[in-house]
Amino acid sequence: MSSGCPPQSPAVAKSEVPIEGECPLLAATFAYWDNILGPRVRHIWAPKGDQALFLSDGEITFLANHTLNGEILRSAECGAVDVKFFVLAEKGVIIVSLIFDGELKGDKNTCALSIILPQTELAFYLPLHTICVERLKHVIRKGRIWMQKGYNIISVLSSEIIPIMELLSSMKTHSVPEEIDIKDTVLNDDDIGDSCHEDFLHKAISSHLQTCGCSMVVGSNPDKVNKIVRTLCLFLTTAERRCSRLCKADSSFKYDTGLFVQGLLKDSMGSFVLPFRQVLYSPYPTTHIDVDINTVKQMPPCHEHTYNQRRYMRSELSALWRADSEEDIAPDTVIHTDETFTPDLNIFQDVTHKDTLVKSFIDEVFMLKPGLSLRSTYLAQFLLLLHRKALTLLKYIEDETQKGKKPFRSLRNLKTDLDLTVEGDLNIVMALAEKLRAGLHSFVFGKPFYTSVQERDVLMSF
Amino acid sequence: MIGSPDLVAFTKEDEYGEASPDPWALPEEFSVPLYPLADSNPWAKTSYAKFTKDFILISEFSEQVGPQPLLTIPDDPKVCGTFDLNYFSLRIMSVDYQASFVGHPPGSGYPRLSFVEDSRVVLGDSKEGAFAYVHHLTLYDLEARGFVRPFCMAYVSADERKIMLQFQELSLRFSQASECLKTGNRRAFAKELQRKLRDLEYTRSVLQKEEGLQREAGPQGIYSAHAVEKANELANVEKSIFEHRDLLRQISSYPRRPRRDPHAVTCPKCMTECLSEYEELLDKYATFASPLNYTEKGERREEGEGQTCEEGGEEEDDDEEGVKRRPSYIPQLIKAKSAKCFDKRLKTLQELCDETYYTATVELLKETERSFRGDLCYLHTRRLDGALRRKQKVTNFLFEEDLGEDDEEDGGTLRPFCAVNHAVDNSTLTHPPPIVLCPEPLELDALEPLDPLEPVSETSHTLESELGPGESQLESSPSDQTLETQESSEATKGSFSSEKSMEGHADGEQSLASMRSEPPDPDPDLTPDPEHNTDLERESSSEEVETTAGEDEADTGGDQTPVSLLEGASELEDGKQEECEGQRESGREGVTEEVCETEPELLVQIDTACCMAQDGFLYEASVPDSVPDVGHSSHPQPPHSLVVNQEPQALLPLQGDYAVGSPHSESPTPGLELPVGPPGDTVSRCSAEDGSDCTMSASTGSDRAASPLGYGGVVTLRQRKKAGQGALRFVRQYPFALQALWCLLSGRTLVVLGADEGRVRRLVAALALFVPGPGRCGERVQAWLSCPFTLTDLQRWKLIGLQRVASPVGSSMLYSLSRYSRYIAILDTDQKTLRCPPYRGQLLANIADHRTYIRRGSTYFLHVQSTLSSLAAKAFLFTFTHHLHMPVTSTEGPEGLEARRRSFLQEQLGLREEDSQILLYLSQLITQQYLQPATGGSAAAPCFSFNYTTSFLYKI
Repeated sequence: MSSGCPPQSPAVAKSEVPIEGECPLLAATFAYWDNILGPRVRHIWAPKGDQALFLSDGEITFLANHTLNGEILRSAECGAVDVKFFVLAEKGVIIVSLIFDGELKGDKNTCALSIILPQTELAFYLPLHTICVERLKHVIRKGRIWMQKGYNIISVLSSEIIPIMELLSSMKTHSVPEEIDIKDTVLNDDDIGDSCHEDFLHKAISSHLQTCGCSMVVGSNPDKVNKIVRTLCLFLTTAERRCSRLCKADSSFKYDTGLFVQGLLKDSMGSFVLPFRQVLYSPYPTTHIDVDINTVKQMPPCHEHTYNQRRYMRSELSALWRADSEEDIAPDTVIHTDETFTPDLNIFQDVTHKDTLVKSFIDEVFMLKPGLSLRSTYLAQFLLLLHRKALTLLKYIEDETQKGKKPFRSLRNLKTDLDLTVEGDLNIVMALAEKLRAGLHSFVFGKPFYTSVQERDVLMSF
Repeated sequence: MIGSPDLVAFTKEDEYGEASPDPWALPEEFSVPLYPLADSNPWAKTSYAKFTKDFILISEFSEQVGPQPLLTIPDDPKVCGTFDLNYFSLRIMSVDYQASFVGHPPGSGYPRLSFVEDSRVVLGDSKEGAFAYVHHLTLYDLEARGFVRPFCMAYVSADERKIMLQFQELSLRFSQASECLKTGNRRAFAKELQRKLRDLEYTRSVLQKEEGLQREAGPQGIYSAHAVEKANELANVEKSIFEHRDLLRQISSYPRRPRRDPHAVTCPKCMTECLSEYEELLDKYATFASPLNYTEKGERREEGEGQTCEEGGEEEDDDEEGVKRRPSYIPQLIKAKSAKCFDKRLKTLQELCDETYYTATVELLKETERSFRGDLCYLHTRRLDGALRRKQKVTNFLFEEDLGEDDEEDGGTLRPFCAVNHAVDNSTLTHPPPIVLCPEPLELDALEPLDPLEPVSETSHTLESELGPGESQLESSPSDQTLETQESSEATKGSFSSEKSMEGHADGEQSLASMRSEPPDPDPDLTPDPEHNTDLERESSSEEVETTAGEDEADTGGDQTPVSLLEGASELEDGKQEECEGQRESGREGVTEEVCETEPELLVQIDTACCMAQDGFLYEASVPDSVPDVGHSSHPQPPHSLVVNQEPQALLPLQGDYAVGSPHSESPTPGLELPVGPPGDTVSRCSAEDGSDCTMSASTGSDRAASPLGYGGVVTLRQRKKAGQGALRFVRQYPFALQALWCLLSGRTLVVLGADEGRVRRLVAALALFVPGPGRCGERVQAWLSCPFTLTDLQRWKLIGLQRVASPVGSSMLYSLSRYSRYIAILDTDQKTLRCPPYRGQLLANIADHRTYIRRGSTYFLHVQSTLSSLAAKAFLFTFTHHLHMPVTSTEGPEGLEARRRSFLQEQLGLREEDSQILLYLSQLITQQYLQPATGGSAAAPCFSFNYTTSFLYKI
C-alpha cells in the first residue's frame, strides 16, 4: 500500500573534474526520463577550479531536467541520437543535449547527455559544436551498450566528457585566431626556402589541402610548429581556423579528434605518441607533418578513411557487446584485432600525388614583395580559384548523376573538362568539394574501393 | 582465374548470417552503418522529409486549444506538403523554456507582467526528417492568462547542418523579427490598457453618479443594501483602475529594464519612440479623470447614439496617434472584475500587434526565408566567395559582378537594425532602382570605396546625389563631363516614359511614407495598403536566392539538346522577360512591378536605319533611390530637350580618355601619351590622327543603347549565370569559339554582325562574360548598333552587336567594318564565320572546347568563372611582380625589362605569344584601375592598341 509519500528521489552524483586553466564548460549532465518521477538527473560533471561563472547543483538540475521536456513525444527510431541546442537568455546559458534511448533498470528510458556553457561563449562554442556532438554521439553508442548490459554508463560517458572539457579549455587559450597575419607565417619569408625547404612546404600545403584541411604538425620547437600551423590555417575558412589549435610552449596537448589543424610538441625524447583510435575517428583524413625532419605523410582519401573508421567503430562496439564484465574492456582500448577486421596501423603514407595548383602558387607567391599585402591578395585569389573549382566539380557531378540518382561514370571526362588531369589537383578539389557535400568521395570512388576491399578480404580468408 | 564478379558473390556477409544469427553479433541498433545513405547519394540526405522547401512556421501555445500553427512563410500549402504542422507545433511548443510566472507574485498587490527574454532552440524530429531553429517569445494580451501569450517562430528545414552552421545568422534575423513584433505588441498592449482605463474611468464616473443618487435618495446616515452594493462595485472599479495603471506603468518601464540577453537586437529609435508614448500615457492616467467629463459625454451619447462623438473623436485622435483601428473610441460601461477574467475571445497575432510592426515583421521573415533559401553548399560558397573577393578589390573589376549587395548583406546581418525604420530609411541607400543609367561618378565611387583619401570625389558624389542625376547633368559644363557621364546622359534622352517611372518612384515613396506615418487615417479604406509595397518587394526578389540548382530547372533541356542560335523572333521577347525577371530577382527594393510590366513600353523600337535619332532600344534612367527626388517633380525635363542638350557633349571627353591608360601621366602631352604596351614590334597604338577620327565617331555614332546585360542596371550574378548558358551554346556550336574568346580577352574588339537582333543580342550577352572589365553596368559592351562605328567606338566598346542592313547605311557600315577590320574581329552570325587573327595558345583551350561534356549553362558559367579568376590572378601576379617593372640595376634599359617580362611570361608562366597578350592586356587594365581608380577601371579603356597580325576567316 502506498504510504502517501512521494518516492525517494535518488541523489544526484557529481564528479568534479580538475581542469587546467579556464574551462568554458559550466557542467555536463546525464539525465533520464523516469516513468514515475519524470525527468531526473543522474550525474553531474563540473569543472573544478576558479570558474568565472558558477551554477549551483540546483540550477544545473533544473536545466538538465528541462532538456528532457517535450521528449515524452519522442518518436525516433531505436538507437537514434537527436541533438537539441538551447540558448536560454533568461538563464544566460547554452545547453547542448543529445537525446537517446537506453535501458535503465530494465525499462526503456529517454536519456539526455548535456553540456552547459555560459551564453557569452556562444561564438566560441559554435564552430566546435560539430566536434563535440560527434564525439559525444560515439560515446553514447558505447554507453547504450553498457546500459543494455546493465553496467554503469557514467564511466563510459566520463571517458569523453572529461576530454571535451579539456579540449574546450585548451581552445580557450590556444585556438588559432580568425584573422591570421600573413607576417606570422612562412608566406612572409623574403624568399622561398627561408624558413623551410621549398619542397617540404609544397608537400605540406598540398597534402593539407588533399586531406580536407585537416593536419597535425609535430615538432620540438613550438615557434616553428606554430608558424607552420598558422601557415596551414591560411588555407582554411575562418570557422575552420576556430577549430584549429596552436601548440603549447611548455608541454604538449593531447591529440584531439576533430580539430582541423593542431600543433603538437614532442617530448624531451623527441617522440610523440599518436593515438591510433583518435586519429582514425577524425571526420577527415589527416596529414602528419613533422617540422623537425621535414616529413609529410597523409592518410588515405576520404572514402577509404570513412570506411576504415566505420569498420573500426563497428569492431569497437562489437568488442564492447561481447565483454563479459565492466572491467573487461577499458573504454579507450584500441581494438587490435577482430574476427573480421584487422586495422592497418600504418595509416600514414607518403604523399604520392603531385599537384600543379599548389606548386605554381608556392612558386609564384614568393615573387611578390612581402609586407605590401600583395601576397594576401594573391592567396585570396588562389583560395577563390580552389573554391570555385570545387563548386564546379560538385555541380558537374550533380548534373551528370541527376543529383546522385545515377552512378557517376565519367571521371575521365570530368578531369578533361575541368582541367583536373593531374591527380594531386583532382584530390585537392575533391577534398574541398567533400567538405561542401559530405559523402562525395564515397559516391564517386566508393564502389570500386569497396569491391577491392572485399576482394582482398576474401582472398585473405582463403 | 578468379575474377572480381566471382568474388563479390562470396562477399555477401549477410546470407549466411541470416540463417544462423550469431548471439554475440552486435544488433544494428547499437552499431553504425557501414554504408550510410550519404555514401550512395550525397544529395539524398534530406529526401525523406515530407516538405519540399524550407519554410518559417509561426506557432502559438494557445491557452484554449494548446499548441497550434498560425501561419507559414511562404504561405503556400505546397511548401509544407504532407508535413504535419499540428504535430510539429506541438513538438516545438511543448516546453515552456521561459519559465515565467503568472499573476500576483508574493508580496505584490498588483498583477505583474513578466518580462522574459527570448529563447532559441534547435531541435529536430529525426523520424520526420524535420529540423528547426525555434525562437520563443512572449507577447502581452490583457485578456490572456497572466497577460502573456507564448509564441514561437521556427525556421524549418530538412537539413540540420544548415541550421547549425547558420545559427548566428538565423538568431540575428529572428531576434530582429521578434523585437519588431514585441515592440508592436507593447504599443498595442499600451493602447489596449488605455482603452480599458477609459472604460473603467467611465464606469467609475457612472457608478459614482449612481451611488450619489442612491445616497441622496435614502435618509441621512443610513445606506440601503443597494447603495452598499454600488459602493463596493465602485471600490472594485477603482481597484481595477489602480491595477491597470500599474500595468501601464510596468509596460512603460520595459524599455528601461536591463537586458539579460546579449544577443537581443534592439532599435534605440523604436525604444525612444515607445518611451515617449508611454510617458504621455502615464501622465494622462496618473489621476482619475473628472467624473463630470464622462457623465457629460455619456449623456450626450445617450442622447444621440450613433452620432460621432466629436470631442471624444478629437481626443482619441490626439491620444492614439498612429492607430488606425478605429477613428474614435467610445468608452463603455463594464462590470468591475479582476483584470484576468475579461472576455475570453483571444486576439489573433495580427490583433496583438500594431499593424505597422506586424507588417514589418512578416516582411522581415519573408526576407529571412528568401535569404536562407537553397542548398547549404551554395549558400556557404557564396559567402566564402564574397569574403574572398573583398580581399582582392584591385582585380574584381575584371570579371566579377558588383560586390555592393553582398557588402550590404553582410553589413545587414551584422549590424543591429530595426525592421520598421529599416524598411523606410535604408531602402533609399541599399536598393537602387531597376533601370539606372546613373552618372559615372556615382558608379566609380561605389566601385572604389577603398580610397579614403579622395575627398574630391566624395564631395562630387555627395553633390550629385543631392542634386539628382538630371540636375547634375544640366549644371555641369560640357567640359566637366567624362565620357561615362555622357554615356549616361545619352541614355536618358528620349525617355518619353520618364514621367511614368517617376510616378512609380513617387508611389513607392508614398507607400513608404504611409508606413512611416504616425497619424491615424480617418478612413482606413483610403490608407495606402502597406502590403502593396511589400508585396512588390516580395515579387521582385522571390527567386533571388535560388541556387544554381534551382536555376537548372529553368535551363533544363536547352542544354541537353543540340543547340541552335537561330531561335527566332521570340528570343527578343525572352530576353526582355529575362531582364525583367533579373531585375525582379535581384531583390532591389523600390522596384515597382509597374516598371517591369511596362518595360516593353520602355523599350522603344525605333527605325534602326536612322542612326542620328536612335539605335535600337532606349532605356530610360529612373532616379536612383539614393538621390532625393529634389527638383524632379518640380522641374520635369522634356525628354527631347535632354537629347538636344547632351548630344554635343559626346565629343568632349575623348582626349582625356586616351590619357587614362598611361601610367606616366606627367607627360607633357597626356592626350597622346602611350602606355607601356605589349611587347612586339607589330603593335602600334592610337595616334593623334586617330583622335581626329574620334571626332567623327562621336558625331555620327551618337545614340547608344545601354549595356546588353543590365540594360543600364548593375549586372547581377544571375544575369551572368543566364549568360553562361548562351556561352556554352556558342562554344558548342562554333568550333572557332576559342578564337573569339581570345580576341575578347586580349582586348581586340569583337563585332557580332547579324540581321536578327534577338540572336545578336543574346550572343553579345553570352560573350560579354569574357569581356575584361566590362564595367559595373556593362558599359564596354554595345549590344545592338545600327549605324557605322568608328575608331573611337572601338576604344569604348570591346564587344559590339552590329545590325546588318541592306540600305545606304548598311553599306557605310560595311565600309566601316572593312576599314577597321585589321583592328577588330568580326563574328558573322548569319554566315557563321569569324574573321580574326589565329590563336595558338593553351590557356583558353579548356573553356572553349566544343566537345565539352559540361551539360548545363550554370555549370559552364562556374567553370568559366574559375578559369577567369585564374587569369585574373596571373595578371595580378604579372602586374605586381616587382622586378618585372623596375630596373634591377641603374644601367638596365627598357629592353632589359622587356626581355625580363617576356621571359617571365614564357618561361615562368609557360605562356605562348597569344596567351601572353591576354595577360598583358589584363595587366594593363589592372594597372589603370590601380593608378586611377576614380576614373579608370570600369568603363574606360587603358589605351587603344592594335596588332598587324594577319586575320583569318574561320568557318564552321
